[in-house]
Amino acid sequence: MKGRAAPALFLGIPTVFLVALFVLPLLSMLVLSVWRTENYHIIRDFNLHNYYVLATEGAYMTFLVRSLTMATAVSVICTLIAWPVAYGIMLYGGRYKLLFTLAFAVPFLTGEVLRIIALQGLLGPVGLLNGVLMALGAAPLRVIMYTNVASAIGLVYLYLPIVVTVIYLSLLNFDQRLIDAATIFGASPARAFFEVTWPLNLFGTLIGFALCFIPCLSATLAPRFLGGPNGTLYGMAMAQQFGESGTWALGAAMGVVLFAVSVLLVVIVAKTLDLRRTGFTGFGRG
Amino acid sequence: MRFRPGKIALLATVVASYLFLYLPILHIGLASFSRNSSFPYPPKWSLDIMTRLFSNSLYQTALGNSLIIGFFSAVLSTALAGAATIGLMRHAGRRAPLFLALFVAPLFVAEVLLGISSLIFNGLFLGLQGNLVSAILANVVHCFSYALLIIATQLYRYDWRLDDAAMVFGASPARTFFEVTLPLIWPGLLGAFIVTFIMAFNNLEISFYLLGATPTLPSAAWGALRYGVKPELYALATCVNLVVFLVLLVMFVLMMTRVVTFGHRPERERSAV
Repeated sequence: MKGRAAPALFLGIPTVFLVALFVLPLLSMLVLSVWRTENYHIIRDFNLHNYYVLATEGAYMTFLVRSLTMATAVSVICTLIAWPVAYGIMLYGGRYKLLFTLAFAVPFLTGEVLRIIALQGLLGPVGLLNGVLMALGAAPLRVIMYTNVASAIGLVYLYLPIVVTVIYLSLLNFDQRLIDAATIFGASPARAFFEVTWPLNLFGTLIGFALCFIPCLSATLAPRFLGGPNGTLYGMAMAQQFGESGTWALGAAMGVVLFAVSVLLVVIVAKTLDLRRTGFTGFGRG
Repeated sequence: MRFRPGKIALLATVVASYLFLYLPILHIGLASFSRNSSFPYPPKWSLDIMTRLFSNSLYQTALGNSLIIGFFSAVLSTALAGAATIGLMRHAGRRAPLFLALFVAPLFVAEVLLGISSLIFNGLFLGLQGNLVSAILANVVHCFSYALLIIATQLYRYDWRLDDAAMVFGASPARTFFEVTLPLIWPGLLGAFIVTFIMAFNNLEISFYLLGATPTLPSAAWGALRYGVKPELYALATCVNLVVFLVLLVMFVLMMTRVVTFGHRPERERSAV
């Protein structure tokens, strides 16, 4: 395959595809965000009115701050749970490691709506939790469902699998003999963990964190069906601009804000880290 | 291993997480096969809810659409991701990080943003109404990155000298691909196909914005969920869960019995001889 055709074929087609169907739509969202919508019609003149509304109207700032808090909290919780789970599978999984990881990843594949339905079965007014409480003779709990706590539980439930999978993959590529080497030279297990295992899997951990943080930030379903009246998150408010209220331009501006925050997160992570010292082996060719 | 309390705490966390993950799934599973669906302990077995679900024609159309979206998205994204992986490993050279960044970028964009931005692009700039084709293409963008990662972890250890050997002996690039590369990498491609199929099949937020009034299984479920949870929705979720588990179980059994080996490792085969 020394000819010129092969690279063009193998790299060119996916590149063209992604540019046409991923980059161009994002750019068109940016363009729409500086137009405006009046009575469901889009008026194509340049102005920054949408961003002005987003910056000055209190509700949108509240939604953004709430979304950021929620996404941060959920991602931290997910990472804190995912680490021991992935590490546990790694250490004690034996020959069934793969089965355990697959079992963790499967629910991630069954779609958000179906998993929200399952969560309603757990937390809902007539769900498992309240059913157990009533069967035991206690009064049903009303504090969990339709609150921010329920949204947070829902988001942890939705994104825990991907964080576990990513951290597990990172640990899988990590050379376990390095821990033995550290302990042989006198490091305590804790010190070996914090000075060898953790820093060398930091990159994987951060990828997992980002893959949880970004969808949480733009979550639309969990806050809508699990959160309460003051649980509106940014993504949910954005989806409403394209549905009920029909103000596409404002929604596009909100999309740009969400996208910018996600990109900012990725850039900060990439800048503050020396990738080669965090277990990032790159995309080797051999 | 080294100190007991640590091991117990670790295993307790693992068990608790599995319970957290599977308890709701098991609960709605039981609920959908029993008459006392809100608290099925002990369950009074019945198939009422299931029959009600299967006789609902909305869910039948929705299932058809979801299957179409799932199948074509999976085929396209697996093919594109396979090409992209080979391209990255063989042809990208020093520009590999650049291409890789573009190829995995969709992972870092939320699904709802992909859906909305594609809706804007199609609706405003191309003047397209909602249709299956644009929904499939938008799903492919999202699935592509996942497929790429799955195939890349399999191809990472592939020995490209096998291809060179075939070509030294006069095989054309196409023949090399079909007679050497493909037979060795197909498990990775199959894995990517299955995963992307399930993802596209179950996707709401991308498909929803691009389909207009065409229902898919997730969007039909979403529509019904707005009016409260009904036992049919439990049944629907249970059906999909069962199918997904079955598919992955089959894959796992194939892997255990070595009919399919994910990840070709020539060095191990050599040492086994």
